[in-house]
Amino acid sequence: MNPITLIIKELFYRKVNSLIILLTVIIAGTVSVAIYTLSKASENETRKIMREQGLNLYIFPKGTNLIDFYSVSNTQAFPEEYVDKLAESKTFDAVRHLTGILQVRYSDWTDPNGSSHQIVLFGYKDEAMQRFLPAQETMGFDVEKGKVHLGFLIARNIREGDPFTIKGSDGSLRSFEITERLEEGRGMIDQGVAFNLGDLQEVLGMQGMINKIEALGCVCKDGRIKNARNQVQAIFSDLEVTEISSIADARENQRLMMNKYGAFIIPFVILSCLLITGLLFYQNITVRNREIGLLKAMGKSTSGILFMIIAKAFILGLIGGIIGFFTGHLVAEYFGREIFRFTSSDIKPLWNVFYYSILLFPLLWMLASWIPALMATQIDAAKTLSQE
Amino acid sequence: MIELKNISKQYVKGKEVFTALKDISVRIEKGDFCCVTGPSGAGKSTLLYVIGGLIHPDSGDVMYNGRDIYRMNSRDINLYRRKHLGFMFQQFHLMPYLTVAGNIKLACNGNSQAEKIGFYLEKCLLADKKNKYPSELSVGEKQRTAFIRAIISEPEILLADEPTGNLDDSNSEILLSLVKEYNNGGGTIVLVSHNREIEKYANRSITLRQGCMQ
Repeated sequence: MNPITLIIKELFYRKVNSLIILLTVIIAGTVSVAIYTLSKASENETRKIMREQGLNLYIFPKGTNLIDFYSVSNTQAFPEEYVDKLAESKTFDAVRHLTGILQVRYSDWTDPNGSSHQIVLFGYKDEAMQRFLPAQETMGFDVEKGKVHLGFLIARNIREGDPFTIKGSDGSLRSFEITERLEEGRGMIDQGVAFNLGDLQEVLGMQGMINKIEALGCVCKDGRIKNARNQVQAIFSDLEVTEISSIADARENQRLMMNKYGAFIIPFVILSCLLITGLLFYQNITVRNREIGLLKAMGKSTSGILFMIIAKAFILGLIGGIIGFFTGHLVAEYFGREIFRFTSSDIKPLWNVFYYSILLFPLLWMLASWIPALMATQIDAAKTLSQE
Repeated sequence: MIELKNISKQYVKGKEVFTALKDISVRIEKGDFCCVTGPSGAGKSTLLYVIGGLIHPDSGDVMYNGRDIYRMNSRDINLYRRKHLGFMFQQFHLMPYLTVAGNIKLACNGNSQAEKIGFYLEKCLLADKKNKYPSELSVGEKQRTAFIRAIISEPEILLADEPTGNLDDSNSEILLSLVKEYNNGGGTIVLVSHNREIEKYANRSITLRQGCMQ
């Protein structure tokens, strides 16, 4: 008789024992897959929140006075090629969406009514494409040449259809088409104007210069700022990196906390389930000692008996791993809907986890049955078969 | 065919030492029907399992066709049990999750033996029980199933440990007739029983008392 047929028949005969073992695999699979899927979803959520918050890393020359920097008091400029060099670097991956910016306070802008104002001018270099990283959708700060985006407070002073005019460093008046009037509450840009970098450099007579690079830090294991700083300074030792704290931090901390819990809960649940499985296999062997004794008397080898026990664990581990994966995914999807704002609808089955599940759970459950299987090979056939 | 030379076996339980077999020497020839009798605790079953390669004696040799079975490697001793021996027990030891046919198939070495299941079921009046599970059989039917399982691989030696111990007289009669028929066909039988009535089927009889041959 085919040993697999024998295993399957025994498995169905001792339904309760088999079902409890199967349940332990399903529980371990569900918990592991659900926590892992939620952790991945949380990572994506953090990314999306960070993106929503805008660029959160500033790169600027070392020695820049941060009080001046944050109050936009025209800090030290540096060549815009720095952006391209960073984007060309193979080792620079802790930062995405590199955007070179020239940001200056312009103290004497006259509005169409003749009133004078202090405003902030932003010149945006087109977002740099990082050659050695997968292409990504840009953050959308690009401004076309000859055009400007007006902050809410500036836009209030200019009629619809009129151009934006500003006096250049050479004293000539320059005019730009307004393509966008930004909504209120966008921060410093409310009192500013966004240019194409080349246009602003011409207006200010600062060709080829920028005074900061803004970027989006990665969701990295070692933390955004540390990674980004190390990588930037490995290329340009004269640059410094700073970070704007945001809601993303809270989310990131939540994610890290979830990972920490996961790192405890997953092994704890798996180990507990393995222990229960080991005991259930031990009980199964005890009940079957006469069957095993008989098989020995019929000339079944030690490896054949080991195979019968371990193959049963493999079958249950495989079935439980598959079911556990799908139930884990459903659990993650259900709770993900409650927890996440951006990624709730993006929680898809992680197929690489599925492959791990169908490999890992059968292996672990085979391991759990190993000691009971060894005990089965040691059963004294003469003793068990002669018992009345 | 099988020769036991100076076999001794003792069991130690705590401080107590129990002698199951003491310097037993016996030769069983092909075609023998050897009945081993004696009171409980005389060492009958131990002798049977020693021949079956399941109890390692403390001293002595068990020669099968000139080879000491306890000097064989594990592969050869498994092969010896699978190809040359058939076992029957007082408790039948049928797999509860296999049908009558399934239980017999368990002992088959290859398809040619499995094809004979129908023939033996007919012979042992079990043809209509082929797909029944042990729980659906009477004790006599269970033991006849165990008998077919023991002989389906056509072993040279049938080792039977109190096979009628749980049977009534008529079922014992049927079973022993079948065993005798197997013996008449050339099979060697070693049958252990405390019932001396069985000796009438045997051509040889060994009586054990406190591990010694009488």
